[in-house]
Amino acid sequence: MSGLARRLVAGLAGLAGLLALRATSLVPHGDAPSHALLRLSWSARPERVETCRELSDAELAARPPHMRLRTECSGRFASYLLTVRLGAETVWTDTVRGGGLRNDRPMHLVRDLSVTPGQHPLQVSLARLDSAGVARDTSASPTGPLGDRGQREADERRRRAAEALPSLLVLDQATTFTAGRVVMVTYANEQRQFVLKTGGVP
Amino acid sequence: MPLFERLALRVVRALDAACHRLFGWRWNPLHQSGALACLLLVVLIATGLYLLLFYRVGTPWESVQRLQAQWWLGRWMRGVHRLASDLLVVAAVAHAVRMFAQARSWGPRTMAWVSGVFLLLFTFVSGWTGFVLVWDRFGGTLALAGARMMDSLPILSEPLVRVFQGERPVPGAFFFINLFLHIAIPLGMGAGLWLHVARLARPVLLPPRGLSVAGVIGMLVVVLALPMPLDAKFDPFAIAAAVPLDLSYAFWLPVADRLPAALAWTGAVLTFTAALLVPMLTRRARAGAWAPSVVDPATCTGCEQCPQDCPWDAITMVPRPEPRGAHSALVAQVDPSLCVSCGLCAASCAPMGVGPLHRSGRDQIPRIRAFAREALQVPGQVVAVTCENAAPGQLTALASRGAVVYPVPCTGNMHSSVVELALRGGAAGVIIFSCPPRDCRGREGPTWLEQRIYREREAELQARVDKRRVALATMAIGDLPGTLTAFTTFRQRVAGLVPPGLDPSSEMEVACEPPAPHVGAPT
Repeated sequence: MSGLARRLVAGLAGLAGLLALRATSLVPHGDAPSHALLRLSWSARPERVETCRELSDAELAARPPHMRLRTECSGRFASYLLTVRLGAETVWTDTVRGGGLRNDRPMHLVRDLSVTPGQHPLQVSLARLDSAGVARDTSASPTGPLGDRGQREADERRRRAAEALPSLLVLDQATTFTAGRVVMVTYANEQRQFVLKTGGVP
Repeated sequence: MPLFERLALRVVRALDAACHRLFGWRWNPLHQSGALACLLLVVLIATGLYLLLFYRVGTPWESVQRLQAQWWLGRWMRGVHRLASDLLVVAAVAHAVRMFAQARSWGPRTMAWVSGVFLLLFTFVSGWTGFVLVWDRFGGTLALAGARMMDSLPILSEPLVRVFQGERPVPGAFFFINLFLHIAIPLGMGAGLWLHVARLARPVLLPPRGLSVAGVIGMLVVVLALPMPLDAKFDPFAIAAAVPLDLSYAFWLPVADRLPAALAWTGAVLTFTAALLVPMLTRRARAGAWAPSVVDPATCTGCEQCPQDCPWDAITMVPRPEPRGAHSALVAQVDPSLCVSCGLCAASCAPMGVGPLHRSGRDQIPRIRAFAREALQVPGQVVAVTCENAAPGQLTALASRGAVVYPVPCTGNMHSSVVELALRGGAAGVIIFSCPPRDCRGREGPTWLEQRIYREREAELQARVDKRRVALATMAIGDLPGTLTAFTTFRQRVAGLVPPGLDPSSEMEVACEPPAPHVGAPT
């Protein structure tokens, strides 16, 4: 083989190697799906289940200044029963709680459920399991030994209650599931309800 | 581990043989894998700088789409950037496998190995961030896979995966962080590269110019002929199907998709740990073939040649302890923790005062004398000196053509006096077959050998030796015709010469006795 022919072969071999490498950088992965997905995805703060009592002025005065709270509460965060139904069939049910070891963090839920394409009556419900002792909307007197601190306590308590999940959330809607597409159920904090997202027409 | 080394060596030899047939040993890219990886890093930085000018973290996919629409520059810049990143992984892996197969992964090379493992890891991380930046379907799939893996660890309270599932638009900060990492990691790799080659006296950071130019032109031709396509934008509401994976960076994805995250993590951590432990698992006792060099201070003349020749800076000149008598003020000292036992110093010392135990110049002299007495019985025989790493099949082929094969541990390790003594022992000629220069396990064996034979580098082949009877050649695996042609040509040349001793121009008959062996404790 002459020098030129050898160089030509070497060049072609090099190009073939690069082309092979290019081919390995575009390898299709994943088959065309014949199913649709129902995605449950949200973050929300569970309700606080607690027992509260108002401290007397004498009790407050006995405490160090930085520990003087008019209303003293003890309790835990609520847990919820999540149920997903497609038509008459319950496809998933579970008890969900707040995050963290003490379940005092927001509840984060991410779950994908495979669904047969077509139109299905979809019902997603999230119902509080703990029924008693939910934090009360206490309106402490703005006066007294704490000045307006009691008012601030009450405001803070109201704000937390407003941020927390309602005791019952239900989404009930006929929904079209398309093969290869995802329908997402998420929780809208502002409206305090479940909303459906489909990401537009594929 | 020796079994894995042998298997890897078999693979490396087979690939080398194929590349030698295709490209010839001078252009074998596998010999240049480390230098090619450095070159590709340069190419990636250069093309990446251009891409950076047009990339927007607020509209990632759309900005890449605009780049792709620049048929005159942006499209092929992106294509070369992508192809070079794939090639970088291939080059780095080929380099690691070669080092492992050739037992160049332990002892003084531990730092190079460990830093190399981290460099490869950073290459992957940088690559993943780059693919995510495009935010096509592959980028989104990678981000989701990474988020799922992270979510399986009890670190973050809020699942990362929700960021990419369409609840909200992916924040620009995510792409900004990716871009930052994609730039910062390769810059950090520069420091890693410095650490990687810190032990080498003369690191080779770039391949030969011809190979570099050919490689870059090759990449350009491929991306111009077949532009790298831009896939559709990642849609969190679409189930991934036929996503074009880049296997160089996402080879693990099809497996990880089918495994529980804990198992995938276990596999990844075990693989990484095993890679880091290779120096420990492959280390040898520093004896026999792996014994470090020692210096005989009584013989050392303080010429300072061996420190110049040592590819690992393992030899330094230090003041000789008093009283030094008639000896030089400086004496060579070997640091055993840096010495890789390549033995190149054995051939650099004219008085033969340095070298690994049993492989120094003084050890080589009786060996070649005995060999000459036993093997050189017939006049006109040609001795073929070969490296112990040479292909066994080629040694047999040489022998079948009349060569008297004299294997040595490394031809760069061979003292020039061996050549002279072979000729004086009756050989008509000596042809030395070295490994391809960039495949020498001692790094610079063939280079120093050539200079010692022809360019008067210490310890040079003495002027009294008829250099027409000496030849250097390269024995490359898979290139038997090249080896046999070199041998046949040399034998014909030697046959045309007047036999030694009858040529009035020859100075071969001048006595040349090697220095008397010194008996004493080496330092």
